[in-house]
Amino acid sequence: MSQPLLGITGLSKRYPNGTQALDSVGLRVGAGELVALLGPNGSGKSTLLRCVVRLVEPDSGSVRVADTELIGLRGGSLRRARTGVALIFQQARLVRRRSALDNVAAGALAHHPGPRTALGWLPPGERARAAVLLARVGASEIAGQRADTLSGGQAQRTAIARALAQRPAVLLADEPVANLDPEAAAATMALLRELAHTERLAVLCVLHQPALALAYADRVVLLNRGRVVLDRACSDTDPAALAGAG
Amino acid sequence: MSRAAQGRTTQGPANPSARPTRRSLPRRLGRWLVVFVGLLVLGQALVVAEVDPRALVEGLGGGARLVADGLPPDPAALPSAGLAVLQTVDIALVATVVATLLAIPFGAAAARPRTGGQLLSAPIRAVAAFLRAIPDLVWALVFVAAVGLGPFAGVLALTVHSLGMLVRLFAESIEEMDGGPAEALLAAGATRAQVFSHAVVPELLPTLGSLALYRLEQNVRSSLVLGFVGAGGIGFQLLSAMEEFQYRQASMLLLVLFALVTVFELGSARVRAALR
Repeated sequence: MSQPLLGITGLSKRYPNGTQALDSVGLRVGAGELVALLGPNGSGKSTLLRCVVRLVEPDSGSVRVADTELIGLRGGSLRRARTGVALIFQQARLVRRRSALDNVAAGALAHHPGPRTALGWLPPGERARAAVLLARVGASEIAGQRADTLSGGQAQRTAIARALAQRPAVLLADEPVANLDPEAAAATMALLRELAHTERLAVLCVLHQPALALAYADRVVLLNRGRVVLDRACSDTDPAALAGAG
Repeated sequence: MSRAAQGRTTQGPANPSARPTRRSLPRRLGRWLVVFVGLLVLGQALVVAEVDPRALVEGLGGGARLVADGLPPDPAALPSAGLAVLQTVDIALVATVVATLLAIPFGAAAARPRTGGQLLSAPIRAVAAFLRAIPDLVWALVFVAAVGLGPFAGVLALTVHSLGMLVRLFAESIEEMDGGPAEALLAAGATRAQVFSHAVVPELLPTLGSLALYRLEQNVRSSLVLGFVGAGGIGFQLLSAMEEFQYRQASMLLLVLFALVTVFELGSARVRAALR
């Protein structure tokens, strides 16, 4: 693998109730690579993604995005570093009363700190770029539609476009297809793979379906009880090894 | 114990016609004690409040005479009531707008989970509780003493009281809202102010609008009585008419008030429905 865009080393997290969610996790994702993260419920997959963007504070370890170490950053430095890592959630988490276009443009807010954006203004340049990004994810027809009128697949595409508006190097997706029908799920996975390969993004995608992982990912990582128990190229992975991983 | 017997034990009484277990004596005594204490509290309230049905029956005649003296309402009171009505509405309008604008940032800071720090939340909530604990009529007395007789004292009184109410309501709305969109923007590197204006405010706008309109309705009603203590509005005219035994003028003013409040309630209900 070339120099990884996302490098996680020795990441550990124990919750106050005593649950060891992550136990010295190490993981690397290179540019142009889609890595599927599998594991049973409670294995630490979501915690891992949330620790990477520091929505959950890890106890120890290192998270490097390109050349930037995220652990230990505070305030403005953390906000700037966060723009390099986009997180797509299971639910699209769009602002319901705003259009798809405005939701996408809001993904770029971190690049425009200042009083005007703090008062609800969106830079026209970012709105124009949002239109391009919606077209990029195949959803230009919904640009003016309010987010609460979108279908699950349309909402998830909008969320992916919002993530791209951040101009990230790394894309994290936390069960992005869990609430989608099989057709929309396949289309979303195809889009994530295409983004990884053509935009040279490092994509780490939590999945519950081993079949989807093997069909779309370049590599599969299996997490169990907070530890990496398998990290292998999909081409070398026996589907039987992933049985029960979801 | 046999398996059959165990089955009966776990699945409830074998004989459905069996009488339910009687409540224990201490529990029954406790219930009677609660009823007794309740009646005692109610009894003392009737005595202390000097509730006297005989006085009501004897006084009905006087009340009826007053109503009769006030009929028919005197339209001559209408021209002078016009400016007073406008002043009443304007006092409520200015107070509601100012209180709403102030309550948005203070409500955000008072909300506990997502926006604002924990440090600010407690003191802001305490101040807001104090502001709303003092009735607006008392605030009006304070501000009449401070800025003199007139509508401005009414504006200040309603602003302060409304601020106390709206800060609490806004803070609770923020705490109860779906935090997903806000967290998504936070994870994308947005500042707290950006998260608030781009995710929290749009999501809460219908709720905030409804609360502000409801407050406007209440403020219109409140500003009617502020005139009784010299804080402007139609209340002053109503008080003057009553004191001068101009009951037909007073009844005309009451009709105007009724129409005003009704129009406001209908209008605000429509706007609130449109905001959803």
